[in-house]
Formats: sequence, structure tokens, C-alpha cells
Amino acid sequence: MEIIEHPPILHIPAIPDHILYTWIVMAILVVVAIVATRRVAVVPTGTQNFMELVLDQFVKELDETIGHEGRRYLPLIATLGLFILTSNLMGLIPGLVAPTANLNTTAACALIVFITYHVIGVRKQGFIPYMKHFAGPVPTLLKPLMFVIEIISHCARPLSLSLRLFGNMMAGHILLAIFFFMMGFDGMLGWALSGTLGGIVVGAPAALIMVVFVVGFLLPLKILVAFIQTFIFCKLAMLYIAAAVEEAEHH
Amino acid sequence: MQRILTVSVMAILAVPGMAWAADAAGGADMAKAFAVLAAGLGFGLAAGLCGLGQGRAAGSAVDAMARQPGAIARIQTAMLLGLAFIESLVLFVFVIAVILLFVKS
Repeated sequence: MEIIEHPPILHIPAIPDHILYTWIVMAILVVVAIVATRRVAVVPTGTQNFMELVLDQFVKELDETIGHEGRRYLPLIATLGLFILTSNLMGLIPGLVAPTANLNTTAACALIVFITYHVIGVRKQGFIPYMKHFAGPVPTLLKPLMFVIEIISHCARPLSLSLRLFGNMMAGHILLAIFFFMMGFDGMLGWALSGTLGGIVVGAPAALIMVVFVVGFLLPLKILVAFIQTFIFCKLAMLYIAAAVEEAEHH
Repeated sequence: MQRILTVSVMAILAVPGMAWAADAAGGADMAKAFAVLAAGLGFGLAAGLCGLGQGRAAGSAVDAMARQPGAIARIQTAMLLGLAFIESLVLFVFVIAVILLFVKS
């Protein structure tokens, strides 16, 4: 991959790229939060207005998914969502790295969700009743089997949660890298500028078509994917928490 | 038809084996050749079958939306979640393909 991919524009030796860019995302979010809450007004304007609009979406989803108790988990879900959205969108700028295109970052987010919903379940219900829930509503003889299957399915949740986000971002990254390589100075544009007949006849139109395709189709698609993946990550985290909370209410 | 398909798949699978057996380079190149082949075939299969599955899911969702325009928001949420679950299986294959292609073993 090093052949076609430009190294990131900001690089400090001895610090991995995804950690450096995670810090940048954190800095952006902290600055936005400080600017938004510097002069809190009843009638919001500017940044405060924008952030309230964004957080309203999270609150709406939480109310819809978890119910009346959902707003307690707004800090967790909104932090995860804003972090993932900012990093996903940052990966679309050439020369910057999306922290979520690294499995370590996404696995950290998924493990936080995993531990949190188990802690919520145990706290709501107590340890033994929560464990009994894994066995499910089946005859007594089948309960050990169900227990093992449930444990495996719960362990698969952080795996799929992290791999889904990582795979999407990584695939988008590689796709964009390949297309930028093909239309850049090593590819069609370089061929067109080399002054040969084939370059002018074939290379220049091909470069033009590729630029239109990438800017008009691929980048909007990637922006859509960034938003959808954030939505899915948050929605699944909410569903897991909702399952842990609901079990407590029904039994 | 099926026999032709089987024979052609077997022929494709045999090509890198014969090519690398010819220059007697040894096991490492052989493994690399099969890794490339496995990544391509596996990701092709996964992407194609995922297309079938997602098409079915999206088609049913559009059907449901046309029947009940009032429930469009909830149907959309359910559809997105379903598509994500279908897609994640392909992404597992994608991760395996990337490991096969870029990780030196």
C-alpha cells in the first residue's frame, strides 16, 4: 500500500499515526465544545445552535430506542457518535488519516460499549439474575446449551461492531487512494501531460472522466457512508443498552 | 452447464499451481499465489452474494414503504440496521482478503 498511498502530511516519529490523529479529533471536539458553551444563551445562536441541533438528534434516537430512561446514556452515546463522525469525515481529506480506519481505535470504542452494557445490566438486575437471563426461556435441559450459545453471541457483538466500522473506513480509504493514484501525476494526468499522442487523445479525457466520477460520485458516497456508519454504531450501542435495561423491567 | 462451470473453476485453480511448479521456486511463492487467488475469489463471492441479500432487503423495504407511507422513518431505520448486518459479513471477508494480500507470512 505504501507504493500508491501518500504518507500523511502530519507525522511525528515514534507516535503511531492513528493516535496522533485521534488527538487531533479530540482537540477539534474540545474546541467546538468550549466555543459552543462559552456564552450559553436561552435563545441559542451560532455554534451553540448547531450543537444543540446535533445533540437533539441523539436525544430523539435515545428516546425512541431506550425509552424514558434513555437520556441517562446521552453522554456516552453522543461522545462516541461525535468522535466517530469527526474521524470518519476527516479520513475523506487527502493527506489526513481517519483514526477509525485502524482496528485499535474501533476496538476500543466497541469494548467500551460492551463493558458498559454489561455493567448496566448487572447494576439494574444483580449478578445472578442477569446471568440467568442468558439461559433464556427454554426447557431446563436445554439451558446449559443456550447459555453457551448466548455467551458466544455476546462475545461476537464487539467483534462485529469494531470490524464493521474498521472495514468500511479501510475499504473507503483504499478505494480513494487507488482512484487518486490512477488520476494523479503517476496515472492518467501524468500521461496526458507527458505530451505523447496517446496521452493527449486517451489520457486527458480519461483523467477528466475520472475526476468527475470521483468528485461527483465517490466522495458523496463516502460522506454518506461516514454518516450511516456513525448512525449504525450508535444505534447498535443503544439497542444493546436497551436490551440490558428492558430485561430488568420485564422480570 | 454445471459440468462446464466445474471444469473451468478447476482449470482456473490449477493455473497458478502449474505456473509456479514449472519454475520450481518453492513453497513460499506457491502460498502467495494461492493467497492472491483466495482473496480475489473469496471477495468476489462475498460481494456478489451480499448484493443478492441487500437487494432483497432493500426491495422488501421499498415494498413496505409503498404500502405504509406513514411508517417510512421506522422502516428506514430497520432497513439500515439490516443492511449493516448483511454488509458486515462481507467486511469480515474484506479484512481476511487484506490480511492475505498485505501481511507477509
